[in-house]
Amino acid sequence: MIAQMVANRIAPLVHREGLGGGYFLLTFRHRETAVEARAGQFVMIKAGSSAELPLRRPFSIMTTDPERETFTLFVKEVGAGSRALCALSPGEGAQCLGPLGRHFTPPPEGTEALLVAGGYGVAPFQLFGALLQGRGGSGRLFYGGRTALDLPLLDRLSRGGVPVVPATEDGSVGHHGRVTGAVAEWLDGIRGPARLYACGPEAMLHAVARLAGERALAAEVSLDPWMGCGLGTCLSCVVPIQRRGEARPKYRCACTEGPVFDAARVVWPGEASSREHGEEAGA
Amino acid sequence: MNLSVEIAGVRFKNPLIAASGTFGYGVEYEGVLDLSRLGGFVSKGLYLEPREGNPTPRLAETPSGLLNAIGLQGVGIRTFVRDVLPRIARHDTVHLVNICGDTVEEYAEVARVCDGAPGIAGLEVNISCPNVKKGGLAFGGDPRMTHEVVAAVRKATRLPVIPKLSPNVADITVFARAAEEAGADALSCINTLLGLAIDVETRRPRLAFGTGGLSGPAIRPIAVRMAWQAARAVSIPVIGIGGISCASDALEFLIAGCRAVQIGTANFVDPGVHERILSELQEWMERQRVEDIGQIVGTLDYPGLSPTPARDSEVCG
Repeated sequence: MIAQMVANRIAPLVHREGLGGGYFLLTFRHRETAVEARAGQFVMIKAGSSAELPLRRPFSIMTTDPERETFTLFVKEVGAGSRALCALSPGEGAQCLGPLGRHFTPPPEGTEALLVAGGYGVAPFQLFGALLQGRGGSGRLFYGGRTALDLPLLDRLSRGGVPVVPATEDGSVGHHGRVTGAVAEWLDGIRGPARLYACGPEAMLHAVARLAGERALAAEVSLDPWMGCGLGTCLSCVVPIQRRGEARPKYRCACTEGPVFDAARVVWPGEASSREHGEEAGA
Repeated sequence: MNLSVEIAGVRFKNPLIAASGTFGYGVEYEGVLDLSRLGGFVSKGLYLEPREGNPTPRLAETPSGLLNAIGLQGVGIRTFVRDVLPRIARHDTVHLVNICGDTVEEYAEVARVCDGAPGIAGLEVNISCPNVKKGGLAFGGDPRMTHEVVAAVRKATRLPVIPKLSPNVADITVFARAAEEAGADALSCINTLLGLAIDVETRRPRLAFGTGGLSGPAIRPIAVRMAWQAARAVSIPVIGIGGISCASDALEFLIAGCRAVQIGTANFVDPGVHERILSELQEWMERQRVEDIGQIVGTLDYPGLSPTPARDSEVCG
């Protein structure tokens, strides 16, 4: 990864669009993030300017506009941090640190990129889709949720960019079933090489990793563990990663060594070995 | 206007020091902020060998607080000295190393490794981490052990020795005096308070380790009280720590008798917090016509209290 300038400063909100269901598109002015961010990277952001708790929250960067020096986040109101962010009015500021983390690696030429999104995990794939199109590569976005209400960006994403395959567990739109089922069906029908990229709930990421493993495909997953600082110092977002040649997994910070990891190197819950709750824990 | 302070012969540009465990090894902030603007910083706690730390989740937010059980994940002191220290030494700032051990001998050995290394201005002795099963609080919760470990570190190094005291004791002055008698040059007060947060859906602790150490504004009045008590009990300088996120928070500790302060949890909320507190502090000094920050140390006007406390108990006699 290239060395990037990370900037910590107040980012004014320039545009706010409610999508219903507690979903918002929030556009902030923050030059470094707008100019340098790549798909899969994130910002740590918080409404207001006080250094008092709560902590900033990590959000994937959905789109950037380098000319206007703005970037857009796709945010769902979940807890206090995201609610305060969605309550900002244009002109009000948020504390923003970014761009942070390791981005998705574009596939080699001639390899189809299959982007797998669960719920608001779709955020990084607008930027990634645009990158793929710019390179003339082929790609497809599989966008899944429980119901059509979990896919508030479906119309917008379908209007341009890479082709979108929706999937809902209740069948209210698109493929009836889990999004990974739609991906498996697609893989059954193609001959050329493909690579998987996934962002969403952990169970979905794990399913994508298994799918990739079964078919000997490379896959990258964007993990979303609880994150405190974004700079690798609080050590709360560590995930067990076992790189090639390592005898056992090592805890690595998702904020600095991820959030995008090679799916085959992640030690998924339930697969864990020596690291978990053993003699070493707490020592 | 003078903002610099001296502790154990070490000159800090200003009284604002980034606290151990909230500032990594400092180098993580290269490019994000100017490390030379800090009064100083304290590296994340280091043992002799690398540590994996505790299982996740390791951090939980509570009202105005942060509960953590990281478990002192770290690279080990030798790797640190070889690989990280040269990068730290490039920055014009005071760097203290927080040292840990499972045994008294380990503390002393870590101190010896640090002793000859360039780029280390002093040692903060971590006898108060609540999140490890061995060592840590075992040394900080028994005044005889505090005395023993501080004396061993004192013997092992010529660097300033600054024990970091635990608030999880009935009377912090007993520990402050034990550390002073053992040869400490200054004290850091306080580490985190032992806490427990429960997920009511699963009825399990919210942290994988179970209990954790509470930090942040929630603990500030306790920290100010304990730092104040410690500062009145000893004649060595005290560095105040606990929930500082603005200049008035820092000033409370200084007025209570601390010569400097450490900023911890607020670094996570805003990596630029140091710069903000520094400018607020300068504004306050201008407004109050204070020329030298040292002038306000220990100026607490506490009605009915004698200027110096009675020293009526010996610790390790």
